[in-house]
Amino acid sequence: MFSEQAAPTAQGLLAPPSAEPPTFPRVPVLGYLDCSQPFQLGERSFSRQYAHIYAVRLAGMRPGLERCARSQWGNDIVLRKLSELQAGEKCCVVGTLFKAMQLQPSILQEISEEHNLVPQPPLPKYIQPSDELILEDELQRIKLEGAIDVQRLVTGTILAVYGSEQDDGRFLVEDHCFADLPPPLPWNGPSSDRFVLLASGLGLGSVSGEALLSTQLLVDMVTGQLGAEGEQSCAAHIIRIILAGNLLSQNTQSRDTINKAKYLTKKTQAASVEAVKMLDEILLQLSTSVPVDVMPGEFDPTNYTLPQQPLHRCMLPLASAYTTLHLVTNPYQANLDGVRFLGTSGQNISDIFKYSSMDDYLEILEWTLQAGHISPTAPDTLGCYPFYKSDPFILTECPHVYFCGNAPHFQSKLLQGKEGQRVLLVTVPDFSATQTACLVNLRDLTCQPITFSGFGADNED
Amino acid sequence: MEQPRRITDSFPRRLRRRGAGRPPGRLKDKKDKKEKDKDQDKVQVKVRDCSRSPSQHPPDPALLEMLRRFDLSWEYGPCTGITRLQRWERAQELGLSPPGPIREALLEHRDNPDVTYRWVWDGMGG
Repeated sequence: MFSEQAAPTAQGLLAPPSAEPPTFPRVPVLGYLDCSQPFQLGERSFSRQYAHIYAVRLAGMRPGLERCARSQWGNDIVLRKLSELQAGEKCCVVGTLFKAMQLQPSILQEISEEHNLVPQPPLPKYIQPSDELILEDELQRIKLEGAIDVQRLVTGTILAVYGSEQDDGRFLVEDHCFADLPPPLPWNGPSSDRFVLLASGLGLGSVSGEALLSTQLLVDMVTGQLGAEGEQSCAAHIIRIILAGNLLSQNTQSRDTINKAKYLTKKTQAASVEAVKMLDEILLQLSTSVPVDVMPGEFDPTNYTLPQQPLHRCMLPLASAYTTLHLVTNPYQANLDGVRFLGTSGQNISDIFKYSSMDDYLEILEWTLQAGHISPTAPDTLGCYPFYKSDPFILTECPHVYFCGNAPHFQSKLLQGKEGQRVLLVTVPDFSATQTACLVNLRDLTCQPITFSGFGADNED
Repeated sequence: MEQPRRITDSFPRRLRRRGAGRPPGRLKDKKDKKEKDKDQDKVQVKVRDCSRSPSQHPPDPALLEMLRRFDLSWEYGPCTGITRLQRWERAQELGLSPPGPIREALLEHRDNPDVTYRWVWDGMGG
């Protein structure tokens, strides 16, 4: 795709320089609309409890789920609330899922001194065979058993179960369904090749500088300073770059200085200061040439709770002079040339990974789309702002490109929905580990990885 | 015995804006007020909020009872942490059709903190 167009002109590098060097103007941006207003928080008030967000999530997703339940199990099924259940009657109940997990880190257990327990070390997965699923609606809760995969599901999912209540008070599930893909958006994509570069996990400020060469190669390729005329003309078709989180590395988060005495740490600078300066210089080189959207991630200097607010422009004095630099929120939604992009920096997917038996990031990404919610674990195990009016993470329209950042590998899949939805699912890999970024072609919704490896110690060259 | 003299005879009480307009000496804020303290607080309310129109009458207990029942009805979601008007509008947007007279009463008495604010349990905050 990208390189096939570039390859034939590679011989141009061996030719004498032409009298007038060819110029490749970058393809102009036809339309850009930022749709992430629901994720932008104005004034924040934390004096609320999280019951509101669960209540709004259930009330908001209930009509869609009832519709799905009727279409799947017939129009004549009985929809009941938990308080109206009768033993033995086959009915359908819509509610929020709660998974009672023994290994789930609990702050109460940690601070409980009478147990004299050492706090549990962070595990890659917290699932156990003894986990139980409980369905809750507005008033009651009931244990679920039967044809439902306990290990796979996570807390906070809204689903509809079909079955009957047993004599011992548990609900025997015969079938269950999720909200399914949201209604499709009309397709207004471009008719010629236009590429969007997705990269995440630049990891600046880390101890090893190996990824810096790859980052510089990425910048040089996009700004057209790399390759022969073929590569440069291809790079001119890149209309946008989206940096999906973790611009700073985890090393910048070290809290050693907090425990040391002040007089020892007076002259030391936080590691993130140097890293942000590097980020500023990289973004300066990028924004002189192409529009850049910068999303914050887990280790970036912004708030911890989802939705993460944009980085402040005072941190990037050189780059923010350019209007091509857009600092955006963590779940980010935008219309690029008629194609709807929606994505996160990966915290939601990695949180589901920890509490579910699903191992594949692409599978989890597809599952969140089927469940109709970007991050169902949000207030439970992932920090979230206490919304009260509406849950902005509910998927109301089906995006054309749905991505998540900081995945272990690159994967992509084109999903076809029942109502004609076409979604390209992309897991953007961690650039500091894999040196790979993704190029999405907006014309036909295909995606290809592009790797910038430098010369490693074990390479032969 | 002559009437006990008060210091306010020599130094008349002046209205002073203190924080959110609380009278001096009250350490706890209005979250602690219960309905039966309404009469006690009315004196302070008069001193505190002089800027309010004098024709505004206090809401009658039947209205407050109706609002309390609106708070406790589970159909419209949790009631703590948000004002009653916010809860009413949220219920409206979710299509739960909350009763109209409640909204009119809330808008009519929007200055009265007993009416607008979230219903709190005795002694605890929202």
